Amino acid sequence: MASAALLSAILIATVALSSWGLGEAGIRADFAARLLQPSAAHLFGTDQMGRDLLARSMHGLALSLQVGALAAGLSVVIALGVTFVSGFGGIADSLARFVTDLMLAMPHLMLLLLLSFMLGGGTAAVIFAVAVSHWPRLARVLRGELLQVQSASFIETSRALGRSRWFTIRHHILPHLLPQAMVGFLLMFPHAILHEAALTFLGFGLEPSRPAIGVMLSDAMRHIGAGRWWLAVFPGAMLLVLVLSFEVLGSSLRRLASPTEART
Amino acid sequence: MKSLCLAIAGVVFCPAVAHTATDLVLAIGGEPETGFDPMLGWGSYGNPLFQSTLLKRDAALETQPDLATKWVLSDDRLTWTITLRDDVTFSDGTPLTARDVAFTFERAKASPGTHDLTMMDTAHALDATTVQITLARPWITFVETFYSLGIVPAANYGPDYGRNPLGSGPFRLVSWSEGEQLIVEKNPRYYGDAGAFERITFLFTGSDVRLLAAQAGIVDMVAVPAQAADAVPEGFYARAVQSVDNRGLSLPFPPPREVDGRKIGNAVTSDPAIRRAINLWLDRDLITEVALNGHGTPAFSPADGLPWAGATDTIIHDPKAAEALLDQAGWIKGPDGTRQKDGVRAAFPINYPSADPTRQALAEIVAELLRPLGIAATATGGSWDSINRVMHSEPVLFGFGSHSPFELYSLHAAKLGGVGYMNPSYYENQKVEALFTQAQSAPSLEASFPFWAEAAQTYGGQGDNAWAWLVNLDHVYFVDTCLDLGAMQIEPHGHGWPITATLTDWRWTCD
Repeated sequence: MASAALLSAILIATVALSSWGLGEAGIRADFAARLLQPSAAHLFGTDQMGRDLLARSMHGLALSLQVGALAAGLSVVIALGVTFVSGFGGIADSLARFVTDLMLAMPHLMLLLLLSFMLGGGTAAVIFAVAVSHWPRLARVLRGELLQVQSASFIETSRALGRSRWFTIRHHILPHLLPQAMVGFLLMFPHAILHEAALTFLGFGLEPSRPAIGVMLSDAMRHIGAGRWWLAVFPGAMLLVLVLSFEVLGSSLRRLASPTEART
Repeated sequence: MKSLCLAIAGVVFCPAVAHTATDLVLAIGGEPETGFDPMLGWGSYGNPLFQSTLLKRDAALETQPDLATKWVLSDDRLTWTITLRDDVTFSDGTPLTARDVAFTFERAKASPGTHDLTMMDTAHALDATTVQITLARPWITFVETFYSLGIVPAANYGPDYGRNPLGSGPFRLVSWSEGEQLIVEKNPRYYGDAGAFERITFLFTGSDVRLLAAQAGIVDMVAVPAQAADAVPEGFYARAVQSVDNRGLSLPFPPPREVDGRKIGNAVTSDPAIRRAINLWLDRDLITEVALNGHGTPAFSPADGLPWAGATDTIIHDPKAAEALLDQAGWIKGPDGTRQKDGVRAAFPINYPSADPTRQALAEIVAELLRPLGIAATATGGSWDSINRVMHSEPVLFGFGSHSPFELYSLHAAKLGGVGYMNPSYYENQKVEALFTQAQSAPSLEASFPFWAEAAQTYGGQGDNAWAWLVNLDHVYFVDTCLDLGAMQIEPHGHGWPITATLTDWRWTCD
């Protein structure tokens, strides 16, 4: 399992770094090399503008990583904020729970589409839409953790020593929530990437002129009928590999953070 | 008769008939949002089906009489006197008279439609078969309404007319299920040849579903996007129809300034050298090949191939001349490869509606092609709302194409700058204005053609290079091998419905 996680981490790092190394390859058109099938010169073939599909897929995955990191990060921040409010108990906790349940009651794909459409599409809209629609599950997990920690004896000791509620949350509760938040971040990452690709494919996501996987898959749909299979297969497979890598890495970290729970 | 149904994305299509000698099923789009009311634009492109017009055009775009037997413009160019056929009835049997024609023109003038009736003063019936229309000033393109405005019955016209159209055209409405299908049948009281088909069903679907419908064999003709035009289903042939459905890049004409709180003009594209160099540099054959899979023709003007286009308004691809021109004009390449002049960087966005894949491809290709010239163009997708905010100060990938020279006027007349999508780049040239006035004052549309063509020498590729026209789209249709479409018109903007202009000439060639 550890070796799989290491392999996944290497793969993700390769994707993240490749975008710099590739420079403008896969971005600039080469009209003399349009729609070439996979070959030694172009392992994944070329697209309708003559761009190398391997380089373009790497750019697309790197872009997905950026969007996924920002969306998952923002989502974790929102979840931590809601959990922080819950920490005050009483009406604050009830309100936080109500908002979380309300968000969970809404079909999140519909919410995603609605938010992205309302914000006019584009990178910022996708990040915001994914973040806003994906924090409730993590908030629930974090609240469970919070309840456990709050009943711990060291919290009671802290209060008995006259520490303020804010001090207790900051110094004793938050550090216990962070490992779960980190795992939540990693597990949300592939989810965010997939949603970014789906939104973009449906025309509500990233700008069509950007080398996003969703854009590539959407463009490929217009060429599938003419037998140009490589335009969809390779970017789709690359996206799958990246998402699976995150799943493996996230699951491994979850085991590390909570070995007992991970076994059940 | 087939009883095949096609169920896709929750929509079930069960065309009543297909593949018979008398019935047709077409999936060519073109469903009007506002119904079949000529006052609201119905019939502007293609065949109004239910209504007759005063004149019509044949496949060669030659004028043919329809309701009118005689149409005369007075010497002062201010009064049209039109004589009508006396044997025409609406499909309910009531006679069509000059009163109906006058009512239609008066009503259309007061309606927010797409017809150019701003110059009309009055329309009134002199007797049962004679109509007189007066104009506020000479305006020869007014005659275009004779071809496009369907005549409605004065006695039966009301707010619900668009859903229940009554006319004297070759067909009458059987049923219309909005967003699904329209069924029409031959009008037994039609005075002319209504063609070979008794009943026609129009399916309104997306392009993907259309292709599947063709592959399932339940339609006789589908309109297909250029990218899918190579995958012809069995039992069909591909018919590519030439069009003036063009795509071109607007180049904001004046230097940047603000008018009524609106930004107009552009520091880069206002330079004549930049506009000329762009037009010389762009390889339109390559653009056609890449963006349209070759299903189109290079465009040099907004009216290529039409009688009023300037015959010499073409541009020869000359990259060396483009570079030399920019060098001479003081646009010098900087370290990043982009040219600069007086601190202004030769850079601009190319705005396009992101929902249109053809314009997206064109914007990306043009941006790529301009880079080696030293012009940093960036393809920028957006909604029409966002484009509307910048279209007077930044280049936009527009699409036009009409059977009327009024289009040339609307794209280049100074007084129309910023009115809707007309003259979005605020082009202005007094010589062009004078030629437009001469054209509009001509005794006939044909007599106005030389003036339009001469104006093209000034605003076009040999003059101001007001636009960078890129391609004319071929409108591709997959047609059942038994269906003979005969000669086709050069189609205007809008892929799909315009093909119905020659519907009455179509024939079924199988038993």
